[in-house]
Amino acid sequence: MRREEGVRALLDRVTDEPIIANLGPATADLFAAGDRDANLYSFGGMGLVSSIGLGVAMTAPERKVYVTDGDGSLLMNLGSLATIARMRPPNLVLIVWDNHQWAETGGQPTHTATGTDLAGIASAAGIPRVAAVSTLEAFEEALDQAAHEDGPWCIVADVEERGRPARPILDIEANLLRFRRTFEA
Amino acid sequence: MPAMHWTDAIVEGLRTHEVWTVPYVPDAAGWQVVSKLEADPAFTTVPSTREEEAVGIASGVYAAGGRAAVFMQSSGFGNTINALAQLCIVNRISVPLFIGMRGGLGEFNAAQIPPAQAVVPILDTLGIPHYAPEREEDVPNVVDGALRLCYAGRAPVAVLLYSSLVGAKRAT
Ligand SMILES: Cc1ncc(C[n+]2csc(CCOP(=O)(O)OP(=O)(O)O)c2C)c(N)n1
Repeated sequence: MRREEGVRALLDRVTDEPIIANLGPATADLFAAGDRDANLYSFGGMGLVSSIGLGVAMTAPERKVYVTDGDGSLLMNLGSLATIARMRPPNLVLIVWDNHQWAETGGQPTHTATGTDLAGIASAAGIPRVAAVSTLEAFEEALDQAAHEDGPWCIVADVEERGRPARPILDIEANLLRFRRTFEA
Repeated sequence: MPAMHWTDAIVEGLRTHEVWTVPYVPDAAGWQVVSKLEADPAFTTVPSTREEEAVGIASGVYAAGGRAAVFMQSSGFGNTINALAQLCIVNRISVPLFIGMRGGLGEFNAAQIPPAQAVVPILDTLGIPHYAPEREEDVPNVVDGALRLCYAGRAPVAVLLYSSLVGAKRAT
């Protein structure tokens, strides 16, 4: 599957649920597929989207909270999996677009290209619901389950890297405030 | 009237400003406060594996409309630079930082000295305001003022807890 197909499948399944996207391709694909108030984009803070998602999920327990991370970025903050497991927010769905590379910096192979298994690490960290998928159908099935069943979930989606759309140019502070306002209702 | 114990002054400051979530990496000074927060059902503490992660979690709380403060030791402050510089400052996210300062008066561990000496220069370089209550009676005003500033300014603010206030840790 390709990352942009996965992003579209996710957008097809949400209404006002927050989506927090990693820097680089995850943000560019989400913005291109469907800008919305409940999207929080990243332009820095590599490694931190799973932690941001945990904070959001704990603060808004009534909403499913989606995070779209990158394999290189999750590898930078593996401890986050243990903390998510420890806090166990049932509403958190951590999706990893595993393209086996640091695409944004030129496509250097990450450790998932040399045998590191992020789904295995998530399970071993104590995340109760883990899925490893490599087809769009399997990804959609995991998303549908995650939407209705308690997590926290970690869905590692093996994606084929085909480049990304242009980096969105937007006001970063305004994006944060717009996202924050979706929780005021 | 004797001054409120510094730990209670911080707990009450957090309560007044509705800072209900507290990610932390433990240290002996901060734990004197965090252990009280853990025993108080109004607060949710989040034991974190790394200080940077704790700042990320606190940023998520703020992004969802809540408030979170981070407790850490001076030795771990350097771990937060990516989160502070590339996330909190860029996105304008309010995160109060409570930093237990080792490496000063009474320090017994040489490894604590260099990271502690780097804390204030790093905060200054990042433009993060920092305050250090010296005496117990200063704590309520410093904490109240730091939290007001943090939420008004939409940026991180640090409160430094030195051994003159919290007591020096002894070698064991
Ligand atoms: C702390 C930090 N280190 C390094 C970088 C440089 N950098 C930006 S994106 C990126 C790669 C991210 O890889 P991954 O999470 O796998 O996402 P992909 O680009 O493959 O979608 C790196 C190393 C950075 N922005 N911040």
